[in-house]
Amino acid sequence: MKLWSISLRNLRIRLVATVLTMASIIVATALYAAILVMAEQTEQRYKGSVGGYQAVVGPKDASQLELVLNTIFNVGEAPGLFPLQVCMDLRSGVGVSRRGQVRYAVPQARGDSVSRFNFPVIATLDEMFSKYEWQKAPLVFAAGGPFQFGWDDLMAFATELAAHENGKRAGEVPLPPRPLLKKEWCKAVVGARVARTLGLQLGAVVTPVHGKMGEFGFHEHPEAACEIVGILAPTNSPLDTTIFLPLSTHLLIDGHEAGVFVVEIPPGKTPDDAKKLPVKPGQIALTAIIVDPKDHFGARILRNDFGTRPDAQVAWPQDVVPKFLRQIGNAADALAVIAWLVLLVAAVSITVAIYNTMNERRREIAIMRSLGATRLQILVIIVGEAALLSFFGALLGLLTCHGAACLLQATVEDMTGVYLDWLTFRPWEAWLLLGVTGLGAIAGLLPAVKGSMTEVADNLAADY
Amino acid sequence: MIQPMIQPVIQPVVPPMIQLRDVRKSYSRGTESVLACAVDRLDIAAGEQVALIGRSGTGKTTVLHILAGILRPDQGSIEAVGRRLDQMSESARDRHRGRHIGMVYQTFNLLQPFTALENVLLGALFGRGAGSDSRARAEALLQQVGLGDRMHHRPRELSVGQVQRVAICRALVNDPELILMDEPLGNQDRATGGQVLDALLQLATRGKKTVVMVTHDPESAKRMQRTVDLATLRGATPVVAAAGGSS
Repeated sequence: MKLWSISLRNLRIRLVATVLTMASIIVATALYAAILVMAEQTEQRYKGSVGGYQAVVGPKDASQLELVLNTIFNVGEAPGLFPLQVCMDLRSGVGVSRRGQVRYAVPQARGDSVSRFNFPVIATLDEMFSKYEWQKAPLVFAAGGPFQFGWDDLMAFATELAAHENGKRAGEVPLPPRPLLKKEWCKAVVGARVARTLGLQLGAVVTPVHGKMGEFGFHEHPEAACEIVGILAPTNSPLDTTIFLPLSTHLLIDGHEAGVFVVEIPPGKTPDDAKKLPVKPGQIALTAIIVDPKDHFGARILRNDFGTRPDAQVAWPQDVVPKFLRQIGNAADALAVIAWLVLLVAAVSITVAIYNTMNERRREIAIMRSLGATRLQILVIIVGEAALLSFFGALLGLLTCHGAACLLQATVEDMTGVYLDWLTFRPWEAWLLLGVTGLGAIAGLLPAVKGSMTEVADNLAADY
Repeated sequence: MIQPMIQPVIQPVVPPMIQLRDVRKSYSRGTESVLACAVDRLDIAAGEQVALIGRSGTGKTTVLHILAGILRPDQGSIEAVGRRLDQMSESARDRHRGRHIGMVYQTFNLLQPFTALENVLLGALFGRGAGSDSRARAEALLQQVGLGDRMHHRPRELSVGQVQRVAICRALVNDPELILMDEPLGNQDRATGGQVLDALLQLATRGKKTVVMVTHDPESAKRMQRTVDLATLRGATPVVAAAGGSS
């Protein structure tokens, strides 16, 4: 028999009080752990997502945070449009210094979504799956493969579309034909979560929609219904919730005509005048370009190079996201403070619960003292009770947190996009366990001191 | 003439197991101070079995608590099992009590949530420490007093006689030199209690243990080798009554 076994026995004797006090520890620990898990997974998701993007090019008048959040995290609407010419210049090295040269520049255009979950549709090139690197490696397909629509296809398509548009604006007869939406362009690649949530398999069809279901202006684009040719492997990033289509499909969607070309209104002209001005292939509208500079400091250099450019800017996610995360971090810290307060309240409940039993335990303590137990041993037994109570409470709290993460994984991911990894036990959980146990032990000190001060002779005389 | 040499007879000096000198203990009751016990002189030799008797209020239990080191007297010196208890710190007295003194109470003072075996082991834990040998010893003691099949029962599941035997086992588990008993037969019929007490005294005699029993029951006192009336210990040489009479 050891001192801790006496502590454990004392907890079992007062089972109801033990369970109630432990419940408060469980809730507090679970709450604290849940906050940490959410904060950690959110940070991991954001930082991990940023790892796939060295630089993002976007419209000049957008804020850099807006541009990064929309392009990388699919947050909000696209902040504006800018011409394809920017991408053409980047790829050919026009207007950028030697160290600002890029390994790849993948154009993107967005505006539509799929399903009631509003999974964003990104129109892009097949380079998104061949050149673009997600954390230093191309995206991995869980099934199928990419659609076929490359840079040369885009150039040819843009030329054809510009000729048609110019003919229309000039009132040419016969009008140069509008490019047809080819069957090989009606292909889509979907992220892992899109496939899982919507139960999509290869060969299934997704139909882009514009606007939010039930809101004014909401409409479907059945003409652009695409067959799924590839499903990406999970990345625990917003890529999982994205649907990729060829840029040509996006540009040929009915109703997108007005936004296909970016036309600057010359000084002294009205928007109606601008609609009559001729357009070039380089004026095709984009929402973002994913860029990977060749140089280590390329993103910064590129940002400087683009400083004087009137139509576009470069955002450096590695710079923008940490600033944003610090804001998120502050909120998580505030929640952690609340969780600590809850833990403190639970610790006080331990003090009260054990302290209240001290009167009824005077005889028991006196008996142990009469057997040779020192005041210190009595103190250790009572502190041990508080520590054991806290230890088991914290342990169950951590398990509760993991259990809740398992049960709510899909819901949380749907609501916030954050993937809760409930199976992984993190090192800080051991520290939390120790911390709560220590806190409980401290909470047990007051009743322990009272118990150890019990007068032996006065309390031995009670009746059997 | 050669004087024959006289060889001095050297008597072996056996230090007493218990030695009390001018011991006084008072309690405060409000503003009043009540003298709970006063012992001018009391010596008990090692291996002796002594009954401390006295009227109610003469401080029998207080003397027992002083001998155990539970209480510290206001004045006087106490030596028990070779140590000056009045000069020891409280924790040292606790450890001394745990290792060298076994106690049996009128109310037996077993801990209800623990089984008979665990109660005995508690004595070992706070005494010489809880090892595997203490468990074996606890089980052997319980077997010896006929509780081999009841050692995993809690006190409430045992008869008074059985509880008393568990309390005796707990007192003996550390193989103490001194056993202190406070009215050990107080709560039961004389025949049953007497048998158990006889068994304990037999064990004590065999182990050459000193036994001090506080009692107001003359029949129990008769079982001891010597009887000391506490009333006579104040201001005079104690009157000592031999077992079954005076000594």
